[in-house]
Amino acid sequence: MITLTINGKTVEVEDGTTILQAAEAHGMKVPYYCYHPDIGIDGNCRMCLVEVNGNTDKLTISCKQACGEGMDVQTESPAVKKARKGVLEFYLINHPLDCTICDEAGQCPLQDYAYKHGPGDSRFVEEKRKGPKKVEFSDKVIFDSERCILCTRCTRYFENVRDSRPIGVSDMGGKCTITLGPNGPIEDPYQLNIIDICPVGALTSLDARFNQRVWFMDFAKTICPGCSKGCNIEAAAYQGQLKRFEPRRNPDVNKSWMCDDGRLSYDRYNLTDRVRSAHVAGEPAELGVALDKVNELVGDGAGVAVLASTKNTCEDLLALRTWAQAHGVTQLWHGAETWAGDDFLKQPDATPNTAGAQGLGFEPVPDDVPALRGLVVAGDVPVPPALLGTIDFLVHQAPTAGELGPAAMVLLPGRTPLEKRGTFVNHEGRRQQVRPAVDPGPGVPEDWTLWRDLAGETARADWPSVRHVIGAVDRALGADKVASAS
Amino acid sequence: MIQENKVLSARFGTPDSCSIETYRRDGGYQTYVETLRSRQPDDIIDEVKRSGLRGRGGAGVSPGMTWSFVPKQTDKPKYLCVNGDESEPGTFKDRQILEFDPHALLEGVGISCFAFGASTCYVYLRCEFAEGIRAVQKAIKEAYEAGFFGKDIAGTGFDLDCYLHIGAGAYICGEETSLLNSIEGVRPYPRNKPPFPAVEGLWGCPTVINNVETITNIPHILKNGAEWHAKLGHADDPGVRLWCVSGHVNKPGVYEFETGFKLQDLIDGPCGGMRDGRKLKAVIPGGSSSKVLLPDEVARVTMDTPGIRALGSSLGSAGIMVFDDRTCMVDAILNLMKFYAHESCGQCTPCREGTPWVVKILQRFVDGRGRPQDMELLLDIAANMEGRTVCALADGACWPLTSIVQKFRHEFEAMIPSAKTSSGRTATAAPTGAA
Repeated sequence: MITLTINGKTVEVEDGTTILQAAEAHGMKVPYYCYHPDIGIDGNCRMCLVEVNGNTDKLTISCKQACGEGMDVQTESPAVKKARKGVLEFYLINHPLDCTICDEAGQCPLQDYAYKHGPGDSRFVEEKRKGPKKVEFSDKVIFDSERCILCTRCTRYFENVRDSRPIGVSDMGGKCTITLGPNGPIEDPYQLNIIDICPVGALTSLDARFNQRVWFMDFAKTICPGCSKGCNIEAAAYQGQLKRFEPRRNPDVNKSWMCDDGRLSYDRYNLTDRVRSAHVAGEPAELGVALDKVNELVGDGAGVAVLASTKNTCEDLLALRTWAQAHGVTQLWHGAETWAGDDFLKQPDATPNTAGAQGLGFEPVPDDVPALRGLVVAGDVPVPPALLGTIDFLVHQAPTAGELGPAAMVLLPGRTPLEKRGTFVNHEGRRQQVRPAVDPGPGVPEDWTLWRDLAGETARADWPSVRHVIGAVDRALGADKVASAS
Repeated sequence: MIQENKVLSARFGTPDSCSIETYRRDGGYQTYVETLRSRQPDDIIDEVKRSGLRGRGGAGVSPGMTWSFVPKQTDKPKYLCVNGDESEPGTFKDRQILEFDPHALLEGVGISCFAFGASTCYVYLRCEFAEGIRAVQKAIKEAYEAGFFGKDIAGTGFDLDCYLHIGAGAYICGEETSLLNSIEGVRPYPRNKPPFPAVEGLWGCPTVINNVETITNIPHILKNGAEWHAKLGHADDPGVRLWCVSGHVNKPGVYEFETGFKLQDLIDGPCGGMRDGRKLKAVIPGGSSSKVLLPDEVARVTMDTPGIRALGSSLGSAGIMVFDDRTCMVDAILNLMKFYAHESCGQCTPCREGTPWVVKILQRFVDGRGRPQDMELLLDIAANMEGRTVCALADGACWPLTSIVQKFRHEFEAMIPSAKTSSGRTATAAPTGAA
């Protein structure tokens, strides 16, 4: 351990901790652009300069300098404030200041720091530098050279994280710019991460640009439902429409990254043809009536199987299991959806909660399917044709009716993973919290409440809110499966 | 009067001075072979330290000190990089050595590598030095053929390889860590220090980067002894240097003198006085990255590190630029700042954005659109650049700028159109020229 003082406050840190990390950990945030915890240190932006041991001639970059025993660090001294203000002025003299039409506005560290640490006005009376405004780095990414502050996070992301160099810095001095390499457009399936790490609006996603102002959107901290990796994301919505998925940093799962497929999958959950009420034999019905019909059809449960989507939360599945077991249904299966995984984040399992389903006793559909009398399909899941061959009745619960809908004796409404509340267990057994980004509107209750209500009075009394079910899942899965998402 | 002491330049006039035959005829490589056979590495480092030699590239660090920072116990190879990227405005001394006495450099390379245990040397030259490149390439080939490079040199078991690396001519590649990146084949941004190259340099291995003139001094020190060197010139900054004089003197050129002489004597004597009998206006004494001196300072300054530091300037790379009274100092600093803005690598924000901004402001003055508040602005921009970047390029840009703004403020004021100057005179848009 190392003891030093930061702004007069004595702090103790682990050996090797940088000044920036130490200051931030003790509530003294130092501004920076080029440093990124998941890309590494570069030291080019000069925003994080601090004063060490009273040396004001040479300030020290806190992102790189390790804490030393007895060091006296000042992060807000006059010399530091002047240097910071100077750096911001240097950034702003050639920055277009087109915030009113810039997608980054509202989540822009250049804006934020300019307000907090900047000079407030400009001493620059010369002509600003001009440069290309719309360079297509790929069919997903657009580069605006005038807004770029050359922090090189984007080039270093490819170098350090993706081990490739599709873009780099060309030219010298004030003419420096980020340039596409000789091999043409970026093809990396994780390229949109550079949009998030760009501290200004220089890199924009063709999909998201000019689409919605960031301050009009609601952001929900949830989990990407695209595969079993469980990337932590923020899902942004405007008036009930999902607009963006952005990765949310979790050093243990996805760091600051997510795949482009997952990121661009948000529109899949903006449904136009959703099931808004229960249906019995194709006709709209009261939910209570439909639920009674389900229990009537299932009867003593003999010959009935449940097939659950692994896009259900653990809480949905526990409620489902509770109902099924109370009605003698013992064949609990989960669906399987796969895609091509890779060696970075993407898992071959294209659903977020297979581990959770398995932990709660749901099994893969057996190869040798017994003859069934009836089938309850919970969620949007591909149904093996063999399951449908002999059944007398089908209960289908899903956000959209899909192909199964017309064949269902009872059709129940359901929620998409972006409307759910509960937990997913990822491929490593990490249980993470899922929060609704959008509200499905009237007629679509939370899935777990539907199964709880179907299970009867006891379940309804035990589980008045999702918190109670989350607790019940804790006990069902065992204490070692702890929720880690914040 | 001052007398030239030709040590480094002694062979510059020799016919066919670049060939190994004439170099060996003049006693070349004898010191190298004797050193390999009879001296211990630590002993050589100590000799160089005791000689008081300061690096000739600009920073003035003792090469003996740098060598002693190289770890002795390491599994990694060690490298010597000879910095021949000479591109400081007003500096053209290394070029002379490369073009007229390349074997003297290579003999220094051999001794230096032996001293700190380097097995490989890269001689880094800028591509514009076509003559120097040809001469050094030929010299390396001859040295290999004569057995001074390669395996088991002079039967001592010492192995050394020497390669010529040709850079694309960027000023920044003369910054030692940029030079390493250039050799490694990546964008030559200066590296953050620490780690210092002596510990973690080329390809992460211990590396020493020394200037051409510094290395060329080494054989002379080994041959004549540290005490001989320490007695040359000024006691705190001893030795001979190749002084590059350019500008408005009758005889510009490269002169070799011991340190400690009076700058005025150099201008009046060997340089033949001011051109066309004009008056002296200013001297930038150590390559463009040093602070300007006024005539009264020139009259009393001695050319050694303590003497020039006393006046707040530096010897740098010994590029002495002399300005006469017809020079517009605003124009002069604009010219220099265009150089720095062009050569800024663009890595650090203050230098990348600050140098072109300064150019734009100075250009306004020259175009007759200067404003009274611009002098303070220039000084404040400089304050926001100096000491705030990875390397010293921004510092080097700030020193001539701030000193010229401070010492020639009246010339800036005179270029502000129809405004009251600080002395109350009404200025005209044209430069007055008078100091």
